Amino acid sequence: MSAALIAGVVASSIASGTSLLYATLGEIVGERAGIVNLGLEGILLVGAATGFAVTAQTGDPEVGLAAAALAGAAVNLIFAYLVVGRRANQLATGLCLMFFGSGLSALIGRPFVGTLITGLPRLHLPGLGAGAAARLASYDILVYLAAPTAVLIWWLLFRTRWGLVVRAVGENPAVAYAAGRRPASAQYQALALAGLLGGIAGAHLSLALTLTWAEGMTAGRGFIAIALVIFARWNPLWAMAGALLFGGAEALQLQLQAAGADVSPFLMNMIPYLLTFLVLILWGWNRQSAAPAALGRTWFGVE
Amino acid sequence: MARIPVLLAAWAALGLFAAGPAAAQDKPALTVGAIYVGSVNDYGYNRAMKDGLEEMKKAIPGLTLIAAENVPETAESERIMEGMIQQGARLIFATSFGHQQFAFNLAKTHPDVVFEHAGGWMQAANFGNFFGATQTAWYPMGVAAGKMTRSNTLGFVVGVPIGYAIGNVNAFEMGARSVNPQATTRVVVTGGWADKAKEAAAANALIDQGADVVTMHVDSPATIIQVVEQRQAYSIGFQSIEARQLAPNGWLTGLGFTWGPFMTATARSVIAGTFKPAMVRLGLGQGMMAVAPFGKAVPADVRELVTAAADRVAKGFNPFTGPVTDNTGAIRIKDGESWGGADMGKFDWYVDGVIGKAK
Amino acid sequence: MPRSAATIRRVETALAAASRFALVTLVALGAFAALLTAAGKDPLKAYVDTVLYVFGNAYGFSELLVRMIPLLLTAVAVALPSRMGLINVGGEGQLYMGAWLATAGALGFSDQPAVVLLPVLTVLGFVGGGLWALIAGLLRALRLVNETISTLLLNYVAPMIVGFFIFGPWRSPESASYPQSPAFVDAARLPGFLHTRVNAGLVYALVCLVLYRLLMTRTRWGLEMQAIGGNPEAARQLGIPLFRYILAVMFAAGGVAGIAGMVEVTAIQGRLVSELSPGYGFIGFLVSWLARGGAGGIVVMSFLFAVISSIGDILQITQGLPFAVVDILMAVVLFIVLGRRPAGRAR
Repeated sequence: MSAALIAGVVASSIASGTSLLYATLGEIVGERAGIVNLGLEGILLVGAATGFAVTAQTGDPEVGLAAAALAGAAVNLIFAYLVVGRRANQLATGLCLMFFGSGLSALIGRPFVGTLITGLPRLHLPGLGAGAAARLASYDILVYLAAPTAVLIWWLLFRTRWGLVVRAVGENPAVAYAAGRRPASAQYQALALAGLLGGIAGAHLSLALTLTWAEGMTAGRGFIAIALVIFARWNPLWAMAGALLFGGAEALQLQLQAAGADVSPFLMNMIPYLLTFLVLILWGWNRQSAAPAALGRTWFGVE
Repeated sequence: MARIPVLLAAWAALGLFAAGPAAAQDKPALTVGAIYVGSVNDYGYNRAMKDGLEEMKKAIPGLTLIAAENVPETAESERIMEGMIQQGARLIFATSFGHQQFAFNLAKTHPDVVFEHAGGWMQAANFGNFFGATQTAWYPMGVAAGKMTRSNTLGFVVGVPIGYAIGNVNAFEMGARSVNPQATTRVVVTGGWADKAKEAAAANALIDQGADVVTMHVDSPATIIQVVEQRQAYSIGFQSIEARQLAPNGWLTGLGFTWGPFMTATARSVIAGTFKPAMVRLGLGQGMMAVAPFGKAVPADVRELVTAAADRVAKGFNPFTGPVTDNTGAIRIKDGESWGGADMGKFDWYVDGVIGKAK
Repeated sequence: MPRSAATIRRVETALAAASRFALVTLVALGAFAALLTAAGKDPLKAYVDTVLYVFGNAYGFSELLVRMIPLLLTAVAVALPSRMGLINVGGEGQLYMGAWLATAGALGFSDQPAVVLLPVLTVLGFVGGGLWALIAGLLRALRLVNETISTLLLNYVAPMIVGFFIFGPWRSPESASYPQSPAFVDAARLPGFLHTRVNAGLVYALVCLVLYRLLMTRTRWGLEMQAIGGNPEAARQLGIPLFRYILAVMFAAGGVAGIAGMVEVTAIQGRLVSELSPGYGFIGFLVSWLARGGAGGIVVMSFLFAVISSIGDILQITQGLPFAVVDILMAVVLFIVLGRRPAGRAR
């Protein structure tokens, strides 16, 4: 295990885990309000395509990022209208949203495939020389903001009145209503925030990691984020660990290959999922459900 | 209860209404259909195919081209090609390997349509196969890399480790070794021909491990070249020579396919009724492959070496002539033997100097 | 109530549902047309071309049926457990595992005649998908992990297992080692009808649908399943063995999806490849949900989705749009339906 390998893996994990983290944070906010969004993948795709398209048009990646966030929020509000306003089945609507986002992103992105863009600028922290170690100090702004965002979301959910209302709605909307809160309003706000974060997550892929747009490029990250939410027990701080873990598995097998080791990429990619299962089983064994109670009613069906 | 007849009548009317305009069509000299596995804006495989088809279209007046992008290598492709045939196509280019079976299925049911498939081996009276002989063409690329590297570590991102791709890596390393005995090539496999996120991570991993020249065999070199450029390393492109636009500083050279002449000749033969199926494998100097222009970082003496190596290959030089040892020390091609074009798909071992596992 | 009155009532309800859906579809087509026009395309031509292709053309119509087959199966795979209140979003993974086990059989028993091999492969497909779903069922029955999340996660592991095998032990040596399994022998290929790709999978799908309907309406098991779905506690107190039902139903559901996988590899692909399904499992979920779990509705909805897919083909060939755009149409249809049922119904 050379230093270069370790540094490379850590750097890769952080890079690839960033978009996962943003997506997971968004989903945590939504699920804390009692709404599960299986269509997160669609939000990510819309964010990636919009971010790329706007950047290609305006030449400004920050504008593209803002557009991506807004697009994600807008699409998620459609979802919110259906599940909150019309009380539609959350699972079906979510899957529907996934298909919608897939199609919409293909339409938005199509004229811009292959365009060369300047991505989000990288900020270099001085002092770590060249090579793999330097990569640890040379990321785009979204990576640096990822951990602070996680802390911010934690603070928002657990240390502010707004967060208290959202969580109360997620636990028991009737009681929240009786206490004078408006559950629907809280849920809309939570889902708007979730959409913003999801759009940012998608934009990170197209504006920072790959500097391209291709149909379906999120490759299931939205669903991984849904698993991560459970892995993190609906806690934004644990989500950081989870995002590193899942980002790390993919990074590890590529770095091991570059270093000459023999490892099957498929087996390596399975590990995060198996770990999630293990964690779920252990927690189920303990009969502790950290899930918001009202989430249970829709998500868990008969229980 | 009256709704059913009304609905049926509406459908019928729609059908009759549509039948009219659909009947009248202009008759072009030839309608050609083409399916791409990805987007033509990829600076890579699909772009090269498109450039070739456009050349063919320009060369033959009255030729109509119908094309569909992002056609997956599944049963879906059969539907798309069938749709094109129904629109009048009499020559179909199935441009990606995975389209082979489905094009072949259609060739059986449409004996009056000619199919040309890229990269496979199947043949029938109306089904031919074509591709560039890429492996030997990688040799001069290795020469360029071997001369330009300072760390003596080269990087190669491979999409899917098929025999042809492994052969490309081998020729690359042999070319590098011919001018720089210390040069080694590290290989990272992403598992798919177009997984952009993995390609970016793979390129980063190779550079982390010390590579200062990176090249690839994936559908689109764009992501990798952009990542490599960002990390200020050198890149060598593949699939389309247009990729050099992506790396103003780090571009060394590259390989591209020039499908135009072959496609034009094929279309002409279909129009004239003289089409004969064949397994066409042409390389450098035979009109199907070209070396890309050099980047500004490449000094004159290196350019001469690379061009000389390319000429040797075009004139028939075969680097896969024994003795050749693999990276475990075993002799794979004996003295006096050589592996020709037909053997290129058989590679499941890397030559000495390549760090990676082929199986 | 005289039989004729009940029949009339049923016909009326069906017609009402049909016309509701016709209206929904028309509105969705209109919205999609607006979108296409905004993208600079010609929606009327696209729709007309589709109608011609699908209804005026033997190939187009046969392809419609080909598209329906996996949807019918994956929809039943969702509908069956839904009667018990179980949510199966794992159709994708179960399909892959059914394909995987069927491939093991096709490669392992390739010297058997079709008459022996095909039934064996069918059973293997069923068992493969069934066992995969059983994992989730077991975890649920033991009250450890909710089946929604476990079936969802398993969707991701299944293609990795398939990938491992086609890159490794089952890598085809002949085809220049492109990652796929060797081609199945003819005996392992599910036959088509009349030179189309409509294959015996259609028979499987119809059989499954009929069995499903009979199970739910005519057997005691169906009644007990619906009792569990309505009120599990009461069902348990009545002595209905929940544990066994959860296991059995999840196994059966996964098995049906597994058959879809088997059909895909034996009829359409002829080998195991890494891209087996463009989301059949998820679309099946939506089909079942739209059909409220009813067998007849599943047929209608599968047909609708298959037609929508055909629009995607036409858009791609004649209008140069990416196929994925048709997902928007599908989603819009569903959005409208989802939006038309306010005031919390548990379904």
